[in-house]
Amino acid sequence: MLVMKNINKIFQTADIQTHALRDFCLQVNEGDFVSVTGPSGSGKTTFLNIAGLLETFTDGEFLLDGEAVGQLNDDGRSRMRNEKIGFIFQGFNLIPDLNLYDNVDVPLRYRGFNAKERKRRIEESLERVGLASRLKHLPSQLSGGQQQRVAIARALATSPRFLLADEPTGNLDSEMAQGVMTLLEEINQQGTTIIMVTHDAQLAQRAKRTIQVKDGRVSELEKVTPIMNQAIA
Amino acid sequence: MFNYYLRLAWISILRHWGLSLLMVCAIGLGIGAAMTTVTVNYLMSANPIPEKSQQLYYVQLDSWDVNHPFNDGLSPPDQMTFTDATNLMRAKKAFRQNVQAQAFGVIEPENPDMLPLIVYGRANSADFFPMFNVPFIYGSGWSSTSDDNKEFVVVLSKKTNEKLFGGEDSVGKSIKLEGNIFRVVGVIDNWQPKPRFYDISTGAFNDSEDIFVPFHLIVDEKISRSGNTNCWKPAGDGFQAFLASECIWTQFWVELKTQQDKSDYLQFLNAYVQEQKQFGRFQRPIDNRLSNVMQWLESQEVVADDAQMMMAMSFMFLIVCLLNTVGLLLAKFLGKAPEIGLRQALGASKRTLFSQYIIESACIGILGGILGLILAYLGLQGIEILYGDSMKDLATLDSNMATLAVLLALFSTILAGLYPTWRACNIQPAQQLKSQ
Repeated sequence: MLVMKNINKIFQTADIQTHALRDFCLQVNEGDFVSVTGPSGSGKTTFLNIAGLLETFTDGEFLLDGEAVGQLNDDGRSRMRNEKIGFIFQGFNLIPDLNLYDNVDVPLRYRGFNAKERKRRIEESLERVGLASRLKHLPSQLSGGQQQRVAIARALATSPRFLLADEPTGNLDSEMAQGVMTLLEEINQQGTTIIMVTHDAQLAQRAKRTIQVKDGRVSELEKVTPIMNQAIA
Repeated sequence: MFNYYLRLAWISILRHWGLSLLMVCAIGLGIGAAMTTVTVNYLMSANPIPEKSQQLYYVQLDSWDVNHPFNDGLSPPDQMTFTDATNLMRAKKAFRQNVQAQAFGVIEPENPDMLPLIVYGRANSADFFPMFNVPFIYGSGWSSTSDDNKEFVVVLSKKTNEKLFGGEDSVGKSIKLEGNIFRVVGVIDNWQPKPRFYDISTGAFNDSEDIFVPFHLIVDEKISRSGNTNCWKPAGDGFQAFLASECIWTQFWVELKTQQDKSDYLQFLNAYVQEQKQFGRFQRPIDNRLSNVMQWLESQEVVADDAQMMMAMSFMFLIVCLLNTVGLLLAKFLGKAPEIGLRQALGASKRTLFSQYIIESACIGILGGILGLILAYLGLQGIEILYGDSMKDLATLDSNMATLAVLLALFSTILAGLYPTWRACNIQPAQQLKSQ
């Protein structure tokens, strides 16, 4: 379970303070598929970065699987990212020098799995996204949709509890986007909690829950779950 | 993870081969220049006889002009008069003692087809050989009895023995030197102490002599004397007058086993000089010195100032090369910011990233070190060509120097990589992931 209570994030420059998140509250339960929408600059990505422990927050409380994230040092945050969170980015973010096998291998190396276990997981996850036959291909030899599938395979290889996706279909045509979305739905059905930031209203509707972020707050809830800011305040 | 980091480093080096090549060249040039000069300095300042350099002492007595001190009064004369050397030899107060001077002569080979051979030699006492641990392949040095009896004996170098006797055991055979028949008593194995500590007055890095003969043969004019001679007043006419003069042209070494022996010997020297003062000699204040091998080499500045200056300059050049490497590494690592951000997102801590990129720096350092070794070898060859035979044995990379080159490259590149690596590890992943 992911719980954020009154999270504030202020970006400070010499002259300007920017409140990216203001008293941001959210609870995401096990098995949820939450889509996060909102206009540009509303704080969606900041929320996702904080949820993914890629960025610290100014104040508030953030519990990930019951553990207070604010207390963790760099090693602890890295370990938690590696063990509990998988990322999917708009730009795929594959390492161009490494083939598919080695790209998927990256988080497994940091987990400390032995070679046999890593091989099993890499092959399984690439099989799951339909790219098992292309282990030795470089990312540049794949289409955008295939690259995003590799990114999903990499995210799944560590069996994360949470999958955080930032505009996962933003760089794909509609057909490829549908394919990726279907894959995410399958993954969610198998038990992985997904939080997806998207601009695409149609795709957002396919999630179990949709929240809208505006001016750094969760301003609106649609669809299923009756959780509001005050619900966990 | 070490192997994984090595593999990533190799992939990165190949992927950015142009930048990597620039870094390897920068480090290689710096290491090459530094190691060339370090090697020369190292060999120049090496202890040529470590097993007993603390027991061998060069003797200096200040017999110089009272009004015009030798070396501006900084040190006593660097050689000794024949009179003093003979007196000290006769006294036999040291465990071993050796008076010597450089000599030369012409050998007339028995084989009429061979041309006469000009040889550079050393006229010395019997103790020369055991004192300086001279290795023999055949026979040995002569005995002190041979010195006393003024025997015509000779020790040949291996090279001379090969020329005259085809390398066979020539002990007991004879050679004709300067018209006199000499009996061969020993043949020295390869022996080229660097520096040639036992006589630096004629070049600290010259080769060892072709032949060795008893010192008294110079006195009896059976062989010609060479080397440096310094006089502070006229020597008079004739060789006997020269021998009795205040000219300095001999070197005197003693072997003393303990510090007490050294102290006793210095007392003896002081008493000797005091005694000589009664004969009108040694008008200057007593300044007798006993210098062990390394002290002697240091006092005579065997490692030339310009060699040390060159070494300092080459290290400055290395620093410039490393600063360039810092810039190139910074450009390379910051160019990888998106990958670094991604690795952080996938679970890499700053510590693991630091390890990865420091290992990449180290790999570049090792490649630079190997290139540096090759350049140092070429540099030393260049020095040998430029300075000739006198640098032959100094322009050699030994295993110590080779190891030092690689370690220096490794250490300095890791040092150069610290700042770029630190910067790389502090990249904010969120910004990089969005912008990729």
